[in-house]
Amino acid sequence: MVPDRSSLSRREYVRALVATGGAGALSACLDAVDDGEATAAPSGTDDPDSLPDRQHAWNDTLSSDDDGNVLLPEHHALVALSLRAEPNEEDRDTVEAAFRTIERAYEWSNEGLVFTVGYTPAYFARYDGSLPDSVDLPEPVALTDREDPAFDEYDALLHLASDRPEVVLEAEEALFGDRETVNGVDLEADLSGVFDRREDHRRTGFVGDGLPARHTDLPDVPESIHEEAPFFMGFRSGFRESQATEDRVTISEGPFSGGTTQQLSSMDLQLEVWFEQDNHYQRVSKLFSPEHAEEELVGAFGERLETASGLTDDRIEATAADARERGVVGHAQKAARARENGDPLLLRRDFNTVDGDRPGLHFLSLQRGIDEFVRVREAMTGADLDVPSANNGLLHYIFVNRRGNYLLPPREHRALPPADPGSGA
Amino acid sequence: MQDRDTIDRRTFTRRTAAVTGAIALAGCVGGEEPGDGDETGDGDGNGDDDVAAVPELPEIEDPPDAVYVPTHREAMRMLEPIDAGEFRLAPMLSYPHPFWVIAGGGSAEEEVERIDPDDGRGVHMMFTLWDAETGIVLPVDEGTQITIYRDDEQVGSPRSPWAMISQEMGFHFGDNVSLPEDGTYTVEVTITPVSTTKTGDLEGRLEERQTATFEFVYDDEFRHEVVGGVEYLDEDDWGRRGALGPMDHGHGEGGHAHGEEHGDGHHDDGHQHGDGDGHHDDGHQHGDEHRDDGGHDDHDHHHVPYSELPDVDEYPGTVLVDPDADERPAETMDLPRSGDGAFLATLTEPGFRLADGDERYLLVSPRTPYNRVPLADMSLSVTVERDGETVAEPSLEQTLDSELDLHYGTSVADVQPGDSVTITVESPPQVARHRGYETAFLEMPPVELTIPEES
Ligand code: HEM
Ligand SMILES: [Cu+2]
Repeated sequence: MVPDRSSLSRREYVRALVATGGAGALSACLDAVDDGEATAAPSGTDDPDSLPDRQHAWNDTLSSDDDGNVLLPEHHALVALSLRAEPNEEDRDTVEAAFRTIERAYEWSNEGLVFTVGYTPAYFARYDGSLPDSVDLPEPVALTDREDPAFDEYDALLHLASDRPEVVLEAEEALFGDRETVNGVDLEADLSGVFDRREDHRRTGFVGDGLPARHTDLPDVPESIHEEAPFFMGFRSGFRESQATEDRVTISEGPFSGGTTQQLSSMDLQLEVWFEQDNHYQRVSKLFSPEHAEEELVGAFGERLETASGLTDDRIEATAADARERGVVGHAQKAARARENGDPLLLRRDFNTVDGDRPGLHFLSLQRGIDEFVRVREAMTGADLDVPSANNGLLHYIFVNRRGNYLLPPREHRALPPADPGSGA
Repeated sequence: MQDRDTIDRRTFTRRTAAVTGAIALAGCVGGEEPGDGDETGDGDGNGDDDVAAVPELPEIEDPPDAVYVPTHREAMRMLEPIDAGEFRLAPMLSYPHPFWVIAGGGSAEEEVERIDPDDGRGVHMMFTLWDAETGIVLPVDEGTQITIYRDDEQVGSPRSPWAMISQEMGFHFGDNVSLPEDGTYTVEVTITPVSTTKTGDLEGRLEERQTATFEFVYDDEFRHEVVGGVEYLDEDDWGRRGALGPMDHGHGEGGHAHGEEHGDGHHDDGHQHGDGDGHHDDGHQHGDEHRDDGGHDDHDHHHVPYSELPDVDEYPGTVLVDPDADERPAETMDLPRSGDGAFLATLTEPGFRLADGDERYLLVSPRTPYNRVPLADMSLSVTVERDGETVAEPSLEQTLDSELDLHYGTSVADVQPGDSVTITVESPPQVARHRGYETAFLEMPPVELTIPEES
């Protein structure tokens, strides 16, 4: 089902096409994009060794904003995959060949495509051996009393991201054999013999200045969201100093060294209350810290912050005191309590969504082990803080309904890895 | 299934007349935006245009920085209480109306925000939540959630209703929820475990997350009922210091206004606006008696407890007194106030069950001055001084006890008669407020008390 073009702006239409997916959406998308300057996406490389060993090595190649913060690609698809049969060597070769085709087709960049493939604990459970101790990948669980999420229990997840919506769609179609060529490259192999796509769990999203405000046509996205805000909650996020480095999140030992773990929480957002009931001062207090509000450090949508979110050690340490003395704590100050030796533990690559026609967030984060995510999430829950739920950062506005944990193996093991590649299992 | 509490035709006509009278009045009072809440409906072609979605809500200019009598008694539809594990809850629906949310100390203007319903279509959705066994209303914000459905389709994003206080409903959870159309709605409520320190019979209980659902119909009949059911008070009383008494939950309305302008002993000064059954003071008994009712009266499905704290004489220990007062406070109205919140503080005998070992327990129970609604989600600390020297400076912990209900307390080792105790409000109650409570309990200066010599 291709969305009705007449009622949507071009960008909006294209976003809707990414959400829809499929060959029909792709051809419509190509037509739509063709209206503008039709330039081909930059092509990739024939030399796989020129690409980074880590699947999650995106930062060096992605663009940055004027302040030097990494800018994620604007359009995202998360494609859930279930194995059709128990994997064998031939399947591994097929999967690797399919990924290499995509890498030949598209430059590893915002303009081209960046992608990862991750595997769930359910996937690894089929192997006799267990994952090595150097990998911390438990089954996902509910992490707070407020949530009762469903879990990602299929085998693998493909994360495709590009500034060009048609590239996200085309790459997905190519990987599932619905095309002969992709960006001028002949398709050698595809995933369709190995994996089924789980349409029911396909997720999409977008992030970038001004994109959320294009969704005010939806009943649950208020008009009052700032025109330039990159995220639905109305503020910039992902400042360099609040993000873990890729090195920090990389597994450093064992057969999966060079890999990382990925945590994905999908949540609904209550924007009507956030924008139409709380005022700006309260939003800044709850998102950053009460002192950010009092000292007007943030601006209308975070433009006053440059590469740091203004979280001095003092403001982080003041969290418990702010709870008691000010009756409110900020999400960012609270989460930053989990830093280790001053370094954030999570590399957040979250993006907005209107899947299901309601505003939400796919909170995707990378960290060395899932235990680190759990620690940060506990800091964010702030059960230790003497503050009512409504004033406890963002808790009042987010409703987690799915969670998945994944291993993103290093590139060399990305194709259907056994639980312990070193052991020859 | 539901208790619609529909009103008979005669009552309806009478109430409509009251509404009309008040609209005429509103013009003189001012503060009303033109066209706001007028009787023509909002013209979205939905339902009967003769039925307003919200009543006329006149403004009170310059209300006191204290609890005050609003312009009217709110009308609502009470639904039948529902069970959710150890919890029980009673949904109530009214028209969307202004309320105030707070995030902060209340000293900066921006820390308090007035919420105005944007278009009148929808409801002010509320529920009172209590422990089925003890009947204690659970007056703390633990992050309950609601999701609304119509014909199995979700309507809007999920939301966490605000913890709120209102003169008529006491402590409850609620929010204005706009509804796209008339119809039957299903609400799924998720109740999160009570993480606040629990003592007495509550210890170790209320720790399971629960869900429950209820249904309601939004239509002309509902609007007639809640808009027509509004009762305007005598204009002379608007903004006067005082409060409406608790609503009679069994009948969906009634009650009276308390006031204090006329000296003590005169709390019930004849502002009766009920249907003749406004004398329900006896329906709100105090202390254990009241709780036992709530817990064991299984036949009375309509009984909804009101979050009323026990009165002064029901607390153990010695009541701390204002050093300048001549008499010991006998009831809540006599207690020292800060930001118009009444502060009951007592020091127990050594070895009291909430104290550590043979220490004493210092208990502070701030409440609304007329209806004794607990002021929850505050932060309090105390300074104990003897001969001008500070001997202790503990923070108090918010605690929910099966007998003493919500209070802030700490175990103290070295505190004795003659000591002075200063209660510092680090942050005022972070709960949203209905009209009449929004100007109180914000700026709350320290309360200075002494521990009287044992008599
Ligand atoms: C709607 C949901 C969320 C929004 C709008 C949001 C927004 C923000 C913002 C504005 C910041 C500070 C600026 C910056 O990123 O540099 C921040 C920081 C952070 N957030 Fe979130 N966030 C959300 C959900 C989450 C979740 C689910 C987690 C999971 C634990 C999380 C973890 C963090 C962490 C770890 C930081 C950095 C703290 C530091 O500086 O060390 N956030 N978030
Ligand atoms: Cu309310």
